[in-house]
Amino acid sequence: MTKLLPDYSGPFDPDFSHEKLSREVLLKILKENSDYLRRLDGTWYIKVMDKCGNDVAFECDYEIWVKFILHELRSACKLMKIKGNDVETLMKAMQSTSWMWIHDRTFELKNKKHGIITYRNCQTLQHLENEGTGRDRQICHILEKKLFELMAQYFNPRIKVNALKLPPREKGSDISCQWEYKLEG
Amino acid sequence: MSEAIHDYSGAFDPSFDHGRLDRETLVGLLRAYSNYIRKLDGHWYLSVMNKCGNDVAYDCDIDVWNKLMKFELKVASEMLNIRGGGVSSVAKYFQVSPWFWTFKPRLELKGQDRLEVTFDKCPTLLALEKEGSGRESQICSDMEQELFKTIAHHFNPKIKVAALKLPPRRSVDDICCKWEFKIERKR
Repeated sequence: MTKLLPDYSGPFDPDFSHEKLSREVLLKILKENSDYLRRLDGTWYIKVMDKCGNDVAFECDYEIWVKFILHELRSACKLMKIKGNDVETLMKAMQSTSWMWIHDRTFELKNKKHGIITYRNCQTLQHLENEGTGRDRQICHILEKKLFELMAQYFNPRIKVNALKLPPREKGSDISCQWEYKLEG
Repeated sequence: MSEAIHDYSGAFDPSFDHGRLDRETLVGLLRAYSNYIRKLDGHWYLSVMNKCGNDVAYDCDIDVWNKLMKFELKVASEMLNIRGGGVSSVAKYFQVSPWFWTFKPRLELKGQDRLEVTFDKCPTLLALEKEGSGRESQICSDMEQELFKTIAHHFNPKIKVAALKLPPRRSVDDICCKWEFKIERKR
């Protein structure tokens, strides 16, 4: 068996592929690529906001993510063979998306029909709090809620999403937001 | 250490993380992330273009990539320890970059100081050709040229970048574009 590479410091290999890298380095690259995705999205938002104002930037962001989140969800479920139509399935899917790497989240599954997800120290919220323009109302209250509802509906339209905690957060709290998922009926 | 899993078809695990997945699945996820990056960028461009026109979208695209390309170069070359000022470092970067992975460029090292990069397939060009508004002259010649210069100069400011072939192409069987990275040495 060929020895797996810890990096690509050796000579140019015309047949190089990521399959030749060790698990440890693959995990590091995945984490960086997840961060890359967040940076790409954030940089576009800020550039459009600078040139055309926040209303246009938010409209674009909303329009893009309501489409893109389902693409990502489909792709993650296919790769990870996640199937089902309850809250457990939804939580597994949310654990598997690229956002898992950059968000500090805890998943509490009360039973297959009821779960709570808590986000701590969200980097986007920290940025929005520093900016101080109140954009967290749009991003966390409107866009995130919509995206979480879309993700729930993807598995089962009877899964209801309820925000238990939303920004602005209490002083000293590390909880950025908290969401409850319930399969009704 | 517990055995690596191939997928997440089993029961919910509150402490699941990607570190439990086997190498094959990790590579599959990398491919998917690479695809997300390209798609997300394209969605942003089109959304801004539809609302504010192509000039604004193009300006934003340039600003975004001026910033991100430098970040990506730093991360990729540090993480994979790609160093050295030769054109082979540029070739290695093309192989590992999450952006270029979806394009699978053909890399031909012609000696120590010359590299040819051929893009046989390019989903961006296909979309632009379908759109038919001629935007490829901006994206493929102006913008790519600048980005490729940024890549080359990250490794060595003396590397010159030249386009050997650019769109428009005669047929869909034709290559999409071809670039040369070259170090000219004084004799």
